[in-house]
Amino acid sequence: MTAVAWARSNLFRNRRDAVTTIVAGLIVGWVLYRTARFVVVTGRWEVVRTNLTLFLVGRYPNGDQWRVAVVAIGAGFVAGLVAGQVARRRLGAAIANGTPLPTVPFTDRVRDVVARYWPALTLLLLLLLLARTASPWLLAAATIAATVAGRLLGARTPRRVGWAIFALPAVLPLAVLPFLTDPLGWDRWGGMMLTLLLASVSMIACFPLGVLLALGRRSTLPALRAVSIGVIEFFRGIPLVVLVLMSDVALGFFFPRDLLPGKVVRVIVAFTIFTAAYVAEIVRGGLQSVPRGQTEAAQALGLSPVRITGLIVLPQALRNVIPALVGQFISLFKDTTLVFIIGFLDVLSVADNVTKQPEFRGQGLIAETLVFAALLFWVGSYTLSRESQRIERKLGVGTR
Amino acid sequence: MTEHDDTVFADATVVAGTGEVMIEIEGVDKLFDDFQALRDINLRVGRQEVVVVIGPSGSGKSTLIRCINRLEKHDRGRIVVDGVELSDDIRAIQAIRRETGMVFQSFNLFPHLTVLENITLAPRHVRKMPRREADALAMELLERVQIPEQALKHPGQLSGGQQQRVAIARALAMQPKVMLFDEPTSALDPEMINEVLDVMKELAREGMTMIVVTHEMGFAKEVADRVVFMADGQIVEVGTPEHFFTRPSEERTKRFLSQIL
Repeated sequence: MTAVAWARSNLFRNRRDAVTTIVAGLIVGWVLYRTARFVVVTGRWEVVRTNLTLFLVGRYPNGDQWRVAVVAIGAGFVAGLVAGQVARRRLGAAIANGTPLPTVPFTDRVRDVVARYWPALTLLLLLLLLARTASPWLLAAATIAATVAGRLLGARTPRRVGWAIFALPAVLPLAVLPFLTDPLGWDRWGGMMLTLLLASVSMIACFPLGVLLALGRRSTLPALRAVSIGVIEFFRGIPLVVLVLMSDVALGFFFPRDLLPGKVVRVIVAFTIFTAAYVAEIVRGGLQSVPRGQTEAAQALGLSPVRITGLIVLPQALRNVIPALVGQFISLFKDTTLVFIIGFLDVLSVADNVTKQPEFRGQGLIAETLVFAALLFWVGSYTLSRESQRIERKLGVGTR
Repeated sequence: MTEHDDTVFADATVVAGTGEVMIEIEGVDKLFDDFQALRDINLRVGRQEVVVVIGPSGSGKSTLIRCINRLEKHDRGRIVVDGVELSDDIRAIQAIRRETGMVFQSFNLFPHLTVLENITLAPRHVRKMPRREADALAMELLERVQIPEQALKHPGQLSGGQQQRVAIARALAMQPKVMLFDEPTSALDPEMINEVLDVMKELAREGMTMIVVTHEMGFAKEVADRVVFMADGQIVEVGTPEHFFTRPSEERTKRFLSQIL
């Protein structure tokens, strides 16, 4: 079908369609024009360029930023190792099943990686273009090189020692965090680094807690059920802002200040419990979506209640709620901006503060800085969303 | 009861098979709230015997066999399977479930596991069988139900008949002494019914003790040692297939048979 024929049948089928198309086209065109003009012509991005470091790592001391670089390169290497080992195992399983996977040429693999991570890669490129020095380019190149090296090494590691690779992402953060917090103490972390810390730790911690609360709420033990319902309903009923504020000030009324952990830990606990309450209800919905017959079949086979939950019901329940769970995680990722109200210098408060710097004050630059902050969050959220769809597709194969 | 000829066992306690009692059900009642699903059920099933349970829907057939492995809890009476009495003791329940395979109307295969994993799950986790051994056993069973080539697929990729045969293989993997079938062919397209019935006939020939709830009268005639007719939660009549289909003694039985035959 030619473009004209396609347009005629889809956009100008009759008079009303034609009018709608023209009006909508004008509106969209106007918005796109204004946006492009803002980004390219009228936007004064100097404020972002100047404060790029502040946006990304907050007030992390200049002399210690090599630590962040080391962690970034190391993280790339470990991610590569894991990906390589996963690929090796998948290949091994496919061969054992007698269905060898086709070999993919190197250029196609690069294309696949770009297609999978294009939002993050585009953002990375933008950040590099905004950077004033060469060191970010070196860091990006080193991280990518480390990831590729890890991927190659991971794929060549025999299965026997491969389990150690899977243990790395769990163990390394414990070693890395003190290394990172050393120069500043993490209560003074800021920028994207703080956001990533808050979001990732809360996500990892709230998931098992949420699952336990969901199982507790369905338990036949009245005490356990009551506690679970209590926790879920109490924390769902309180605005997150209130919890964040309370984590900062109100806990001091109940407990001696000296016994309390640091501010970051307290706010992470607040995010974790709040999100866990929502996760619990999502997971409970998933548990209810698994037909009774599944439990009965497992019971008839003589499986114990713990195994029925762990092997039969939970895997199916979680698969059914991936979209809702990831939605909750994205929500958490964005809600971490609330920490600005208790004095953290997160991305949002950087965006606000830099417009008050002497050389930028009074120029109405908040639009530029907010758009940039929004972009950072959008890329993170969209990447999460895309990965979740990928997992859904993988788990959905041949199961219905 | 009108008349009793020698093939009618109204108390259902005389068993066929080897003569040894495998399942004993004595005075069992089951209530769902205030609805009485089972009323004073007495039935004994012998080792290697095949008992087919028929009756109109809502007559308590499924409830009866679901009580045997405690998917439903009976409210009164005694159920003993291979010498173990069913009680609230979880160990007794697990012991009976290990010895009792069940096949459901809606298959209830685990959709997130492959066919092979469906079959090896219980042997590996309940019997603690090593993976290699469990896999070999599963393949042997799949050969028996004639779908070894489907081992690595997921249940959703199989036809209904194939799924039900996998479900039978899954139950057999625990090497049960008794197999319970709860309307195994009711959810199947007509052309797939025979492939499942053939597997069940083969199983009966090999001497498996079976209780089969079904509407397949051909199967009952051919395979059953005894047929149990239930209505309104009670056993109305018990007899050999020959007695049952040629000269049933109860009015209720005659009415049912005239409706379905």
